[in-house]
Parts: sequence; C-alpha cells; structure tokens
Amino acid sequence: MDAMETQELKDRLALIEQMMKAGRRSTESWGWTFVLWGVAYYVAIGWSALGGTYAWPVTMVATCVLMGVILSRRDHKPNTTMNRAVIGVWIALGVTMMTLMPALAISGRFADARGSIAVVCALLGMANGASGIVLKWRLQQASAVTWWGASMTVCFGSEMQALVVFMVAIFFCQVVFGIACMIAEAREARAMKDGAHA
Amino acid sequence: MPELPELNPVVHGKLRLAVLSLLATADEAEFTWLRAQTGSTDGNLGAQLMKLEEAGYVSVEKKFVLRKPQTLYRMTNAGRQALAEYVQALKQLLGGAIG
Repeated sequence: MDAMETQELKDRLALIEQMMKAGRRSTESWGWTFVLWGVAYYVAIGWSALGGTYAWPVTMVATCVLMGVILSRRDHKPNTTMNRAVIGVWIALGVTMMTLMPALAISGRFADARGSIAVVCALLGMANGASGIVLKWRLQQASAVTWWGASMTVCFGSEMQALVVFMVAIFFCQVVFGIACMIAEAREARAMKDGAHA
Repeated sequence: MPELPELNPVVHGKLRLAVLSLLATADEAEFTWLRAQTGSTDGNLGAQLMKLEEAGYVSVEKKFVLRKPQTLYRMTNAGRQALAEYVQALKQLLGGAIG
C-alpha cells in the first residue's frame, strides 16, 4: 500500500470519528438559545428596574414563544438517547422555573430579591452541570460551576451586589458561552462539509 | 503473510460512509438533518441513501408531520454489522500506521 492509499484510509477513519462525534453532539447547536435567554434576562432586569411590575413574566413568556417559533422552523434533530437526556434536563428546568418562580412571587415568599436570584442561579447551575456531564463538555461544566458560585455569593451581599453578580454570571454563562457555542458549531459544520463530500 | 481484508465497496463511498457513521449514533434521522451534516446536495444524498437501502443497510420511513412530509432513516442491523466490519478491516489494513 503506498502513502497515498494509506492517507486515504486514514481520512476514512477520521471521517467516521468526525461524523459519530457530530451525531452525538447536541448542545452546540443550541448556542443561540443561551444568547437569547441571556438577552431576555437583561431585558427583564432593566424593565423591572424601570418599574415594570410584569417585566419578568411578560419577558419570560415572550422569550418562550419566540424560541418555540424559531424551533418550529428548524430541521428535525436526530433522535438519540443523548439528545433526549440533554433536552429533558432543559425542559425540566424550564417547567421548574415557570411554575416555581411565579408561585413564589405571587405568594410573597420572595420579599428579598437575593433569595430569588440564588434559586435561579442554582437551577441554571444544575441544568448546565447535568448537560455538561452528559456531553462530557468542560466549557459547560465550567459554566455550571460559575452559576453555583454565583448562587452562593448572592446570599452574602446586599441586594445591589447580588444583582451585579447575577448580571456578570449572565454575561459569562449565557452570552459569552452562547457565542462560543455558535462559533464552535459553525467551525464544526464547515469541517464536516469539507470532509463528507463524496 | 496474512491476507489483507477487502473493504466493502458499498460502505467505502465517502458520503455513504459519512451517512452510516451519523446513523450509527442516532435511533433515526431526517433527510434534511443528514443533508445539513454532510453538506451534500439533495440529489447526491438521495442517490447514496438509495444504494444503502438497496444493500439493506438503512431503512426508510416516510410520513407527514403537521402536513409536512418527513423522511426518516434508520440503520439496520446489517448496516451496523457492515460498518463494524469496515472499521475492523480499515484498522487491519492500516496496521501500525495509526497511532
């Protein structure tokens, strides 16, 4: 076998690995949702600071609707066990946030904003942590650690300090992480297109 | 000297190999997803999928979801075995060249 044939066979082996990796990965194609939710949190924080009583419920519901519309126009994703596990984690987080937060707010249990911020940070840490472990993805695991750190930190400062910590965590774990996902996804898609052409 | 294995020509095609590798990780996958992942054209992908179907390596299911046509592909047991044998043969051929 000459060097050219050997290289061709190595390319075939690399293609198999690359495609299997692509089939397993799922969170990277969700990068835009992290950015979308990060922006939504900023809008809700800004709006409520200006006195908007329904800033949080309106922004959250509107973001859910917007995400639903975008997802309904996207191509069907492959049905893999890993996809189902990761999607399950995020759906569970969404349902928990959408039921627990309004109930706590309406019942007046969240008179101290630090409590609500700590709960939100801890829940986001849990979802990112579970997803990061399933996908063996260090960047998402780091994002989870940041959220957990934020959830503990906000318990000890003033309400204003808690808000600043929350906004910094949103910036790194939603906006920066989301953009990093989108860049990685685009890079991987380009590499696959180059590699898979017959 | 031991005889070198032959590579399955149906699996060896670059796009067919890419499709089989993708389907090996999924229970099922839609045509549009396979097209996006491989960056191929409708015509080329359709032709290669037909060859895989004729070889009995993939099965196809056509249905309507919300009035939109959806074509789903699944890897058969024969396809899974063919891919496994292909990888084995590839490793054997490359021998010490992979590290």
